[in-house]
Amino acid sequence: MNHPDGNIKLLVLLGISVMLLLFVSFLLVFISTQRRKYQYQKNLQRLREAQRDLLIEAAVRSEESERSRIAEALHDEMGALLFSAKLHFQNIRLNENDPGNWPLFCKGQEMLDEAIRKIRGISHNLHSSILQEFGLFEAIKHFLRTSVDEHLIEAGTSLECQYTPASKEDAVSVYRMVQELVNNVLKHAHARKLHISCVNNGGVLVLTLFHNGAGLTQEQFEELKFKQESMGFKIIQNRLILLKGKLFFSIRPDGCYIDLYLPQTL
Amino acid sequence: MRVVFSLLLDWSEAWAPLIPITAWLWTRRKRRLGEQPPLPRYLAPVVAYVWFAFVTDLLIDGIWKLRLTIPPPWNSNNWLYNLHSLVRLFLFGWFFVRLRQPFLLRLKRWIPVVFGVYAAVDFGFYEHFFDYGNLSSRLLALEAGLLLFYCLQYYFYKVKEDEEMAGDQPDFWVVTGLGVYVAINFFIFLLYKELSVYYTRFAVDIWNVHNVSFILLQLFLARALIQKKTHPPAARYDPL
Repeated sequence: MNHPDGNIKLLVLLGISVMLLLFVSFLLVFISTQRRKYQYQKNLQRLREAQRDLLIEAAVRSEESERSRIAEALHDEMGALLFSAKLHFQNIRLNENDPGNWPLFCKGQEMLDEAIRKIRGISHNLHSSILQEFGLFEAIKHFLRTSVDEHLIEAGTSLECQYTPASKEDAVSVYRMVQELVNNVLKHAHARKLHISCVNNGGVLVLTLFHNGAGLTQEQFEELKFKQESMGFKIIQNRLILLKGKLFFSIRPDGCYIDLYLPQTL
Repeated sequence: MRVVFSLLLDWSEAWAPLIPITAWLWTRRKRRLGEQPPLPRYLAPVVAYVWFAFVTDLLIDGIWKLRLTIPPPWNSNNWLYNLHSLVRLFLFGWFFVRLRQPFLLRLKRWIPVVFGVYAAVDFGFYEHFFDYGNLSSRLLALEAGLLLFYCLQYYFYKVKEDEEMAGDQPDFWVVTGLGVYVAINFFIFLLYKELSVYYTRFAVDIWNVHNVSFILLQLFLARALIQKKTHPPAARYDPL
């Protein structure tokens, strides 16, 4: 049985073609619009990141210059003043008739020596001359030697890998992060062992801090770095952004590991 | 070869939903193991649809193949097409509402209600839901038109929205698959009653086009259900 109007088949075929064509055209327009939007968003994101990096860089640089200024002032002014005070102190003639003066004199000299040592320590911590003269790894070794009480913690380093930071500022940033992490371990982990090692993994420097105390998991670190009171982690985070590095915390059966990944092309 | 191809096409409505079902079952195992993020809530109606389509279409094809064995009126599968159409619109309508796109929200919520009322009136006064000879062309065409509207409004909203693009977008695959399916089938559904009466051979041939588009829809749904990993393991270093 045939329909009086034979064009119905043509109508179906034409209808399918037109609908499909319209939908596909619509889809293509949509995809190209979305791509343009995506590209725009990517560019915007790149701009935002560049701006953020600039701000962080400026903050880090100003922090470093302030540290240098304070270190210089402490070393050159306070240190010199205390040393001069010590010399004057040494030249004091004590009254031999009063034997009680001698222990006081000795105590005063001891305190002056301690103050000079502390000032020098603070000054070195604020602005490591070893870092400037002997490089990052020597500075880390020196920092660990001076800040760890060897009676309480067994500390050591294996820093024999090749690593050339792009600039002195970058080396300072790595040093500051290690300083902050070591200080955190000393302060919170109650560890008996602390070891810093490095490997060069295909152009990426991996600095590993191992300790056997109470460590953090990655999730805890992610939480802590957004807390108001975690200033140290914020400083680390800013420097990581600047160096385009990554930090991973893990707890394994033998102890806790903190892996700092830094690209060689700093 | 041709026979096998023809057989595959004839049974495509029954086996094609197995593609997204397999994808869903495979990813469900991974989701349970924590290797994949959970499915977005808006995909629940899609999962329900693929299971429904599998059961219904298996019955549709089974009845069609055994029509000479089964006594009338049980050997007609047209009512199953009507049921499939109704359920498909409700489930995909629910999917579009669940997407939570703040665009034509009230209209999107009312469409299934209006469609339901239309179906009640149509089957109450003008057509028979259990019509032995024909499926309801009007119902299926209206459903295709409404689903096409849903798809187009989705794209319009996406174009004008300012949200940042996510990496993997299962909703895009669902909508695109559905859009292609309804765009192809709108005229087939609209004129199928006429064709099956006056041009039976052509109607059978054109239904193969429907079957191909149905396979396409199921492939797109499967792609939507296979989500890409969005959260890399924490301890892995992502090379810069």
